[in-house]
Amino acid sequence: MANERVIPWQPTVIAGPKQALLVTPETAELMIKKAKRPLFILGPLVKEDPLRTYATKIAEKWNLPVVTTADAYKPFYEKGLNPTAYGVVEIVNLLKDPEWQGVDGKGQHDLVIFLGCIYYIGSQGLSSLKHYAPHLKTLTICKFFHSNADASFPNLKDEEWFKYLEKMGEVG
Amino acid sequence: MIVVAPKPKSEPKKFKDEFWKTKDIKISIRDIVEKDGEREVSEEETPIGPTPKPHVTDLRSWDMKLLSRYEPFYAPFCDMCCLCTFGKCDLLNKKGACGINSEAQQARIVLLACNIGTAAHAGHARHLVHHLIDELGEDYPLDLGLNIDIEAPITRTIIGKKPENLADLAETLNYVEEQLSHLLSACHTGQEGSSLDFESKALHSGVMDDLAREVGDLAQIVTLNMPKGDGDAPLVEMGVGTIDSTKPVVLCIGHNVLPGSNVMDYLDETGQEEDFEVCGICCAAIDISRYNDRAKVVGPLSRQLKFIRSGVADVIIVDEQCVRTDVLEEAQNKNTAVIATTDKMCLGLPDMTDEDPDVIVSKLLNKEIEGALILDPEKVGEVSVKVAKILSPEREKLKLLPELDEVQKMAAECTECGWCTRVCPNSKPMMEAVIAARDGDFSGFEKLYLNDVCYSCGRCEQECERELPLMSMLAKVGEKLAKTEKFNIRAGRGPVQDVEIRRVGAPLVLGDIPGVIAIVGCSNYPDGGKEVAEMAKEFLERNYIVVATGCGAMSIGEYLDEEGKTLYEQYTGDFDARGLVNIGSCVSNAHISGACIKIANIFAKKPLEGNFEEIADYILNRVGACGIAWGAYSQKAAAIATGVNRWGIPVVVGPHGSKYRRLYLGRTDKKENWKIKDLRTGKIMDGEPAPEHLIYAAENMEEAIVMTAKLCIRPTDTGKGRQIKLNHYIDLYKRYYGRLPPDIHLFVRNEKDIPITYKKDVKEILEEVGWEPREIPQEPSLMGMDGD
Ligand code: SF4
Ligand code: SF4
Ligand code: SF4
Repeated sequence: MANERVIPWQPTVIAGPKQALLVTPETAELMIKKAKRPLFILGPLVKEDPLRTYATKIAEKWNLPVVTTADAYKPFYEKGLNPTAYGVVEIVNLLKDPEWQGVDGKGQHDLVIFLGCIYYIGSQGLSSLKHYAPHLKTLTICKFFHSNADASFPNLKDEEWFKYLEKMGEVG
Repeated sequence: MIVVAPKPKSEPKKFKDEFWKTKDIKISIRDIVEKDGEREVSEEETPIGPTPKPHVTDLRSWDMKLLSRYEPFYAPFCDMCCLCTFGKCDLLNKKGACGINSEAQQARIVLLACNIGTAAHAGHARHLVHHLIDELGEDYPLDLGLNIDIEAPITRTIIGKKPENLADLAETLNYVEEQLSHLLSACHTGQEGSSLDFESKALHSGVMDDLAREVGDLAQIVTLNMPKGDGDAPLVEMGVGTIDSTKPVVLCIGHNVLPGSNVMDYLDETGQEEDFEVCGICCAAIDISRYNDRAKVVGPLSRQLKFIRSGVADVIIVDEQCVRTDVLEEAQNKNTAVIATTDKMCLGLPDMTDEDPDVIVSKLLNKEIEGALILDPEKVGEVSVKVAKILSPEREKLKLLPELDEVQKMAAECTECGWCTRVCPNSKPMMEAVIAARDGDFSGFEKLYLNDVCYSCGRCEQECERELPLMSMLAKVGEKLAKTEKFNIRAGRGPVQDVEIRRVGAPLVLGDIPGVIAIVGCSNYPDGGKEVAEMAKEFLERNYIVVATGCGAMSIGEYLDEEGKTLYEQYTGDFDARGLVNIGSCVSNAHISGACIKIANIFAKKPLEGNFEEIADYILNRVGACGIAWGAYSQKAAAIATGVNRWGIPVVVGPHGSKYRRLYLGRTDKKENWKIKDLRTGKIMDGEPAPEHLIYAAENMEEAIVMTAKLCIRPTDTGKGRQIKLNHYIDLYKRYYGRLPPDIHLFVRNEKDIPITYKKDVKEILEEVGWEPREIPQEPSLMGMDGD
């Protein structure tokens, strides 16, 4: 069964020989620590609690600038974050441009963490960044293994996933 | 000087009339011409613009202008290429053995998809025109009645002349086919190397698709006497619940009207029209019901597998495009007879075209043949009716699905492996539905069944390790729900009338009517068909003109309000504010770009003939139209979207649309991309990101609604018009995002643009970003900019 956890959640998104690195909450945190200009992208699949709370805590703990996709803006704004709203294809389009100055105008991001975008359009966005954004790394902490990311959580059951996210948001 | 046939004084001849059935009468309009005395007309006085019958590269400079503003955004669906035996090549940060890079490869695949789509429409149109010329003669006139003078606006613009008869349609197809062979050849290994040039070719292919669709629909409208732009075309029954399965049932699947129309004719001729049910899935349904409103519409493509599995149909007639390719196997399991009717889809069946109909009937009934390929539509009519009549009482349709307790027993075999949900394109909870059914709770299946949340693609069933017949289980649970599925749809009306264009031209271009929303395309929806109806309703209530075609038009009709009424019953079919206009099938999409072209011609007096760029430039800058292809899946949909893009009409696709690999996205942060030339003053000046994108994939419905409202903004809106458009944009943005749109300042040119209701809030934002009023161009244009 271990194998099944790293077959992409929707198995046919497999694009080629390159596969994402499998990460745990600990390695995911290392990636965030190492990044100079990380960005956290939150999609509509995590706009309800408890996921909204986990996501918010992660953003707060790591002081991450947040972009919301689709209609995820309102629930996260209400939760106290100050996100920027983009369509998922719009933000990916900006991220692949090395000249873009980032959501805060201070320079292009070097790590993008995805959580909660609809799987297949998220996968397409990740593919775009894999091909055309060599200047940044992508990390997904969704419940699903995303082979088009540089690094991804494996496929997880809800309980495991919640634990992973909780861990990443724990202060101390 | 050319000689043309005079327009008939009365109704054009009806193809379904008894008269045409007599084989040996060959109609030649020339005879009539001679009897009436020749009518001479002088060569068209309209001047011909710069690009009649443009070759692949002739509109390239226009394409490059579009592409520098709306840069291609690529999302590879696959890292590799396997098109030649050098490969497979891995194109991730590498070039292929032929030298191609990843971007060019994506664009190449998009071009290929567009070419496939265009070929499907061109093949379809060619089949119709060829057949109709055989039956009616090539002089058969194209008469769309009194209300439509600018018939064939696409053909006029691209070919450079108005088509008068079927022969002219055939000539247009000659041109399309020639272009298509050049375009397809560019996909060969070692041809084009630039992604932008691939895109320019894809745009050309899209416009060839436009032409092919216009030809196809005109041919069927004039010869089969379909509605000619009638706003009050009849309501047609739709839904599985409207079909009386105790009668023999003939089901047509696909896009070509001829087999189905001949079934209707045969029933009429033999006086059996009350004794049979003739129904359709996908565009064949729409087009047969445009021909004869007694034909019923089962629904969009999402119904296909579950309806076949339900076993209601005694005979299935397939023609072309979007038909399940395993239809024969599926039908055989239900003892349903299959008749294939076009060269596009022969299914390995024996060619019975030249056999006596009764011989075919007996061979089918005795199972001497698995099914029949019959390439003569008239014969299809007779054979299908005769077979259905005998087969129907034998089939005991009601016992074809497992009983509910059997469904429960099957469900008990589930191992909870979860793969059904994983392979589902929308990750729908099939496993949960099965687990619940094990305990006799069928609500999970019901939720999947209703609104086609599960669109019966059958992938889950293919994957199931216990080989559970998940689609049959779904169809069984849905059986009792299906009985209540009684909807309707307004029969496809075809083109928009000239008088309607005169009426709405000014309010549309000035912005008083906030936009034309075209709901088109297939049923690859992320979350069922209901969202499509909800989008239509939203824009109708806001005074937009909503036009629809194909599966989208059907999904709109499947939504009932509290009083049990469909949107088609609540809104008129007029092309006007708050009109819900079913234009027709996929090929009828031509009339949507056609309507925009007619606005340029009738309202702004722009000449059409050979004048593509000026017309497209006008539409891009002035006509606030936006397409929504929420479930676009096919290569035809790729061609259609790319075609309307080249005319300057933006499109929003659903999340699955990201798999087309390419979008055209604008960048509001790059001010220089939005420069325009004011043709009135000759000055190059700052423009607006209006429309902001040309083809955009939204992640969910909420995002799509807001984006669609924004994409209706045009640089020529008057202050009042802009206020109306911004009011809707702000209103919708606030509803779904809980705040004012942060980019609102980009669309406020001066204070007159600010909607009164939001004056205070908008002014706050303007102040925050240091906004300053801008000069408004009088005739904004991309023409005369760099590249010309
Ligand atoms: S067409 Fe080019 S990229 Fe594709 S397999 Fe052949 S050599 Fe490789
Ligand atoms: S038939 Fe297709 S859409 Fe329906 S549940 Fe199965 S995989 Fe999903
Ligand atoms: S694939 Fe079959 S066995 Fe596996 S969970 Fe789905 S229904 Fe059960």
